[in-house]
This record gives sequence, C-alpha cells and structure tokens, in this order.
Amino acid sequence: MDGGRYYWGVDCGSTQIKVCACDAEGRILHKRIGRTLFPLMEHVRKTLVGDGSEPTPLTDDQQSVRENHTLVATGYGRNHIGFADGTLTEISAHFLGAQELLQLTGPYTIIDIGGQDSKVIEVQDGRVGQFVINRKCAAGTGAFIEELAHRLEVPLGDLTELARAHDKDMTLNSYCTVFSGQEVIKVLMNGERLENLIHALYASVVQRILEMTSITTEEVVFSGGVMNYNPVLLEMFRESLPGHRGRLVDDAQFCGAYGAALYARGLEERHSGRGHLNLAEA
Amino acid sequence: MDLKQVMKDYFLDLDAASKDPARKVAWCTSVGPAEILRAMGFEVFFPENHGAMLGATRVCMDTIPKANAFGYSPDICSYLTSDVGAYLKGVTPLTRAYGIETVPRPDILVYNTNQCKDVMHWFEYYGREYGAPVFGIHPPAHLPEVEPNHVADVVAQFEALIEVLEGLQGRALDEADLRRACALSKEATDLWAEVLATAMARPSPLTFFDGTIYMGPIVVLRGTEVARDYYRALLDELRTKVQQGTAAVPGERKRIYWDGMPIWGRLRSMSDLFSDNRACVVASTYCNSWIFSDFDAADPLPSMARAYLKIFINRNDRFKEDYIRKLVDEYAIDGVVFHEAKTCPNNSNSQYNLPARLRASGIPAVIINGDLNDLRCFSDEQSTTVIEAFVETL
Repeated sequence: MDGGRYYWGVDCGSTQIKVCACDAEGRILHKRIGRTLFPLMEHVRKTLVGDGSEPTPLTDDQQSVRENHTLVATGYGRNHIGFADGTLTEISAHFLGAQELLQLTGPYTIIDIGGQDSKVIEVQDGRVGQFVINRKCAAGTGAFIEELAHRLEVPLGDLTELARAHDKDMTLNSYCTVFSGQEVIKVLMNGERLENLIHALYASVVQRILEMTSITTEEVVFSGGVMNYNPVLLEMFRESLPGHRGRLVDDAQFCGAYGAALYARGLEERHSGRGHLNLAEA
Repeated sequence: MDLKQVMKDYFLDLDAASKDPARKVAWCTSVGPAEILRAMGFEVFFPENHGAMLGATRVCMDTIPKANAFGYSPDICSYLTSDVGAYLKGVTPLTRAYGIETVPRPDILVYNTNQCKDVMHWFEYYGREYGAPVFGIHPPAHLPEVEPNHVADVVAQFEALIEVLEGLQGRALDEADLRRACALSKEATDLWAEVLATAMARPSPLTFFDGTIYMGPIVVLRGTEVARDYYRALLDELRTKVQQGTAAVPGERKRIYWDGMPIWGRLRSMSDLFSDNRACVVASTYCNSWIFSDFDAADPLPSMARAYLKIFINRNDRFKEDYIRKLVDEYAIDGVVFHEAKTCPNNSNSQYNLPARLRASGIPAVIINGDLNDLRCFSDEQSTTVIEAFVETL
C-alpha cells in the first residue's frame, strides 16, 4: 500500500454494480459485486460498503469519499454517483483495465458484451483508436440472452453446457430480440432440440457482434460480465475468428471497474503532480 | 435584432395573410424556390420548419403515433409524420408560441425533391386535404457535378411553376421582383456563410446548436430584407465575440463536426453534453446547407437552379466526402459525429462507409443513432456514452 491510499472504480452497469479497489501500483486489493436495483444509490452504497470485512471508500455517513481514497464511476449509472471524484465511460474504462491486465504492446480489439450494450473497441498505439456500440436493439447483449433464457425457462447457469451439447448448427435472427423470440417459439413448435436452439442463440450473439465492425487486429480481448458467465461464447468467437488470437481478460466482469480504479489513480496523481493519466484530461 | 421577434412577426404576418382574402399563401419545402413565390406575391410557409418546431417542443411525440395509426409508417420522415399527426389532432406549436390557432391555409403547395421524395408525399397529402394545387420540382439528383443540362432542366420547371403562379395571382411575374428577391437571398445567404465562418475562431463564438436556432430566418425568410438585416446584426455580434475571445463553450478543448440532422427534442441536452465535455460543435453539414453562393440577381432563374441543385444533400458521395474533409480542415476539427437519423436516410451520411473512410485517413469519426423528431429512436444513455467516450479518446 502507498501510505494507505486506495483507488476505487465503480462500474454501475445495467444489471450489476461492480466495485474494484487497487493500490498505487495497480494491484487489485478488493472486488465486490451487487445488483443494479433501485433506489440506485442505496445499492451503490451497499456494494461499496460490502459486508464490513474489507475497507470501504465511504465516510461513516456514506455521503462522501474518505480521505486517502479516490473513486471514479463508470457504466451507465456513472453520472448518478454524486460523490465520485470523476467519471469515465465504459469504453475508456475497459480499455484501461485490459491494457493494464494484459500489457499488450501491439494493436488489439476489445469486445465487451454488457447487460444492455456491446462494444467493439480497437486499440492502436496504446490508445483507443475507434469504437462502435450496438444499435438500439438488445440483440447481441446480455439482456438478449436473459430474455430468451427466460422464454425457454432455462436457468442462465445451464446455458453454456446445453449449448455445448448441441448436435446441429442453426441460425437465429440476430437483428431484433422480438424477431428472435418469435423464431424461437416457431423452432420449438417444430420440435427442435433445446440444445441446438441455445447454441443458435449464442451464435446469433456472436454474429451480431461481428457485424458491428470489421475486426482488423490479430489480438482480440474479451471483457465484460456476459463473457464471464457464458464461457461457451469465447469458444464460439474463436471459431468465428480464425486467424485471430482470442483471449478472455481475467475477471472479465471487473475489467471496467478496474479501469475506473486505474483512472482514479491517475486523477489523484495528476492532482499531486505525478501524472499517471493516459487518457484525455478529465 | 431579436430573433424571437423576427420569427414572431413572420408567423403573425402569415396568419394575417391566411385570413385575408386579398393575400395568398404558398407552402414551400425548405430548399424550394422561395424567391419565385415571394416575387409572385405569396407569403411563404415552410412545413419543415413547422416539423422542427413540433420536434423541439416534443409535441411530435403525441402527433407521430397519430400519423402512424393513420397509415404513415414510423420508418418514413418524422417531420412528415409529426406534421400530419398534428394536422389530424388539430394542434400546432404556433398556438403556444404566438397565439396562432392553426397553420396558414395554402393556396398552392410547392415542393422540390432536391432533398428527398418524402416531401412529395407530404405535400400531396395536404393538396388533397385543402383542395389546393401541388407543384413539384423534380431536379436531377445525387450529382457529382452540376452541368448546364441539369440547370436547363430545372429552369424549365421553374418557368412552368411561374405559369401556374401567374394563373393563381392573375398577373405576370415582374422580372424586377424576382431579381430583387434573388438579390436579397444572395445577401442573406452570404451573411449566413460569414456567420458560420466565425466558428473558425478558437475559441468559437457559436456552436452548431446555436446555429440551429439562428438559422430560422435563412430558412423561412429568404428573399426578404428582414433576413438580410438579421444576419448583418448577428454577424456584428459574433465578430465582437471573436475579438473579445468569448467562447460558446468555456474552456473549449475539442472541436467537433456534426453531420446529419439535429435531434430537435434534445437540442438542449446535447448542447450541454458537448459543453460539459468542453467540446464545441463548430461546424455542421446541416447549418451549411443554407449557404447558396450561386444566387445571382443578374441571372435569377439559372442561378437559383444552380443554387438549389448544388446543395449537399443532392450530391454524390464523393462530393460529400470531399466537402466534409474540406470543412474538417478549415475549422480545425478534431472529430466528426455522424447522426444516423432513423427516419431521414437522405440526411444520414454514415450509411455508406463514409465514417470508415474518414477514419482510415486519420479523421476520428463516430456514429450515434437517433432521429430528427422521433425520440422513440433515440437513447439518451447510449448517445451520451458514445459522445463522452469519443471526446475522451480524441
């Protein structure tokens, strides 16, 4: 620890709140996760405080950040966390997290599949070159998988193994969640095996992501909770991206929170004149 | 000059004209031949301007569904659906703004498909409703260059329009009136170009979002002294701001180009979003589309034909790319935001690989999904993230 300093990132996503703390060396000290429920701030505070066994960045009244702690918020809820010392978009946060964790020197592409959106981020020369985010529909996101799992009455945790047990490649509409849902019903009515249907569901997610933009780098890094919870997706992306090296970043769902924590470190060090920040100034 | 008063006077006079049997009202598309209509003594109403008002006031969110239910698809121009829905519901934002009960009744509707074909369907609907004649100018479209035969084609259509107008007014066109309207449009549009060019200063004294408000007179008052006088005064004001270093976005750090339509119902929040990120949208395809440098009072019809043929939206993709690259250079742009409007493909230049071509040559570009009026097609959260991330990475 650097004089007891903590740098915190809060990734307030559409389905989960991820918290990560690191020290001045960028070592991860703590990770916590909570659900995105409402009132939002109540659940953000709850996740930041944890079960009391680990340090929290919040003051006793939970209204502000303690001295020696710096906190940066990212994710869709980032602008609602009033006590944060700064905010950062998920695109930059996932980039910072992946860059620190993997220390890649060449160009690479980050594919982050989140609860409500998916992003493809191209990194060139150690910075974000360009990025795209999915169109309005939830197809190709965690919400899409959840919606169809719900329709099929299959627990989310069972999806990967069921997909791995498929014996036929099928195609599902990847354009729209409603279209896909209708197609699922039709396919089930025709007596198709559930395993094949779930595999097709994942394939449509892969398809939807790959049609967002051309992947031009050899290295492809996967990040985000959906990749974490659905390991079959990595296998399927690798199959769909021959000639590329696909790898899942460690603790993929915390990558954004970790990136935000690194940004907090940069913010604090910029204020103290040491300067760690490698994005545009806040 | 106070812009609010300029616009108020314009609408009140239109309302008065509509109630006066001795005066006639023409409806015209925003880049239609307003000068001819004015020279023939018509007061001119622009339904697209009304559409933008429906968008900016968000009244359209009640009127678009009405038009959808009536049979106008949610996928077509949301100016059209906003406006037709407003007609069906019997509402107009003019009531709240100026106490005007309804839009002025047209004696003729004149459209020009130099921008899109939806205006044809839009005007034909009202032609049926009001039992008024509808005249369409159908120029050659998507041109790489404007050639003499294109100009001759449009001049012939203007001449046919003039014949119809002469029949309605019971008098011949006075050439001097047309030259005068053309000269006034030329003065106003040159001043508008200078107004926009003040944003080349660093920091810029105005943003694209200011421009969408300032542009009212160049859209609805072309061919009048009022428009010319307004832009003279505005130019003085902006030049003073440049001299004083007054920034539209305090602490301006990044300079952005906006391609595509404004998101009328989110003008304020989008303006704040860029400003909060110390990014100034200094140039746009949209505001620049009302620069008609070709007007020439000495040669009114051919010069009008050239001016209205040469508009950005009526050109091919090569022209559009070169145009944007030129402005990126002139305005020292750091990045380009493409607004892909769901219901306005003609004004969405992101759909044919242009952002990728810009990026390939080192010009950062990003796309946001949205719409000019239909906020059902727009996600505040997603757009905020995309724009903030874009500025972060510039």
